[in-house]
Amino acid sequence: MSDLSTRLAGLALRNPILSASGTFGHGLEMAQLVPARALGAWVSKTVTLTPRPGNPMPRIQETEAGFLNSIGLENRGLDAYINETLASVCDPDAVLIANIGGHTEEEFAIAAARLDDCPKVQALEVNLSCPNVDGGRLPYSTEPATAERVMAGVRAATTKPVFAKLSGNVTRIEDIALAAEAGGADGLTVINTLLGMGVDWRRGEPQLATVVGGYSGVAIKPIAMRCAWQVCQAVKIPVIGCGGIRNAEDVLEFLAVGCTAVQVGTASFSDPACLATLAQELSACLDEEGIATSAEVSGRLARNLQCEAGNL
Amino acid sequence: MVSIRPSGSDGVVLTVRPFMTFGRLDAGRFFMLRGDEESSPAIPRPFSLYRQGDSGNLEFLIKVIGPGTEALAQSRVGEEIVMIGPLGRGWPELTQDGKPLIMLAGGIGSAPFYIALQQALAGTDQRPAVDPGQLHLIYGGRNKGLLYDIEKFEELGIAVTPCTDDGSFGFHGNVVQALEDHWRQSRFPSEVRLWTCGPEPMMRAVVKVAEDRDLQCWFSLETYMGCGVGICNGCAVLTCKEGSLGSWPVAKCCVDGPVFAARDVQLT
Ligand SMILES: Cc1cc2nc3c(=O)[nH]c(=O)nc-3n(C[C@H](O)[C@H](O)[C@H](O)COP(=O)(O)OP(=O)(O)OC[C@H]3O[C@@H](n4cnc5c(N)ncnc54)[C@H](O)[C@@H]3O)c2cc1C
Ligand SMILES: Cc1cc2nc3c(=O)[nH]c(=O)nc-3n(C[C@H](O)[C@H](O)[C@H](O)COP(=O)(O)O)c2cc1C
Ligand code: FES
Repeated sequence: MSDLSTRLAGLALRNPILSASGTFGHGLEMAQLVPARALGAWVSKTVTLTPRPGNPMPRIQETEAGFLNSIGLENRGLDAYINETLASVCDPDAVLIANIGGHTEEEFAIAAARLDDCPKVQALEVNLSCPNVDGGRLPYSTEPATAERVMAGVRAATTKPVFAKLSGNVTRIEDIALAAEAGGADGLTVINTLLGMGVDWRRGEPQLATVVGGYSGVAIKPIAMRCAWQVCQAVKIPVIGCGGIRNAEDVLEFLAVGCTAVQVGTASFSDPACLATLAQELSACLDEEGIATSAEVSGRLARNLQCEAGNL
Repeated sequence: MVSIRPSGSDGVVLTVRPFMTFGRLDAGRFFMLRGDEESSPAIPRPFSLYRQGDSGNLEFLIKVIGPGTEALAQSRVGEEIVMIGPLGRGWPELTQDGKPLIMLAGGIGSAPFYIALQQALAGTDQRPAVDPGQLHLIYGGRNKGLLYDIEKFEELGIAVTPCTDDGSFGFHGNVVQALEDHWRQSRFPSEVRLWTCGPEPMMRAVVKVAEDRDLQCWFSLETYMGCGVGICNGCAVLTCKEGSLGSWPVAKCCVDGPVFAARDVQLT
């Protein structure tokens, strides 16, 4: 059996597979389908300081090759998250990364400070990039200076590792990545959903009530991979690849482009139990190739390209 | 897939044999189903359990309206399909001592009623069978072709009022008009319980009747579903402030429903 253990910004994970925020609830919902020990870590749905009822219906729509959503960060707010949700999480086997969002720069820092006191949360992921609020303006994930300030605020407010979750809806994702790194991020998640939309031309109605929403699933995999590759080239901190990952091959591809770990989102909707077996599949895939550890695969592409360049 | 047979003008009944065996499944719960064909959409679709056979087979009554239902209808006997469930909360327990129960179904909305009637008439070790005279199904559709499996419902031995908008079969009118007609003819007592499932405008009309007459009412609601298991927040329904679902403005159709008490959630 190949060794999948992964070190991620100081966290010791049993494998490099994480659930993506907003596609795994708070883990509680999935306890029967996916045991915590099947995952390297699981990432909670974005929690914001104040409650958000979310967007009107319809909020979701499957497309030819992907999935549109406009949930609008529905959550009961940080107090309910800490007092109710976290209180019922009791799996000592699980590594929990809490994903936080905010409407202002201060809100991110306040949320980070409050969660710093919660021993059940091992790390924070900062959602700089939700497309479903503020009319898709994405201020925190499109302006490097703003991204850096948000991350610096969070960094100062917590002792836990912090990851910044970036948007692919930018021209130069490396610039945002470098800004988040400069702000003190310990790692980067690349990417959140891409902006997309759908329409029913017969009725002249949008498929999502908000018209524009976030696009995810297999269709975004090449874009997510390109973003991960560019970010891996630019920064020194570890990168978590995310976007369209469904199987062990996909996981290894993202590791090869330089990611340390990956997140799986929309695939859990096709098969809510898929994350229960993905690590085993990964292991089997490596065994077949005679590779002893998944960490060996990480960064393969860049190493090979450098070699080739050196030989020229 | 054990068998596929046509029903009505655009429906099919799928009989499937799950790899695991289930005990008695609560009526009104649902499964997420996906045809294992390449042509099927990646995300399974929700379907109420229609009938539970003694042999462990499960049946689903499905109206073909798009790629997901099409792929299921095209599956072949012997093929495997993806099934996730049972999910959600079903109808309230039916007890004999309650008021008569009127089920109002519109089109494919009849699916979650067959198993409910089956179970009510059979009873369990803890609960005696319900007297067939206490049960009534009003089953409406635009035309006869949309009264799926109407003969199967009639064979159950309870009173069934078929109705069609075009008068091609049974009562000429919609289910609410049929209900009002029964009251006018004094065929129902004024105190009844209402369960409904069908198109939203129909369910809204039933809820209105329930409110006007102060009757208990439940409905089985349909929303888009991303996951069916409570992780995507895609299936939101608006809750009523005074309802039993708590103060949060939205509930999840897949875990808090699909069956709701009318006083708990708002129909849009
Ligand atoms: C709990 C539950 C139980 C159900 N039980 C049954 C059942 O027993 N039998 C049955 O035939 N169907 C049932 N349905 C409905 C069934 O899930 C849908 O018909 C199916 O998802 C359609 O998938 P599709 O890919 O074939 O069509 P799609 O392409 O997904 O949809 C076809 C058309 O219908 C519209 N549409 C689909 N779903 C909705 C919605 N929720 N609200 C508004 N418009 C919508 C789409 O916009 C599109 O125009 C149930 C739904 C729920 C939530
Ligand atoms: C229904 C849905 C809800 C999501 N909610 C969140 C969220 O609350 N916070 C967040 O950071 N990302 C959220 N995402 C984005 C995912 O975490 C992930 O970044 C994205 O879907 C791409 O990965 P995938 O293709 O594997 O789904 C959501 C995605 C979906 C489909
Ligand atoms: S369908 Fe995903 S939460 Fe209900």
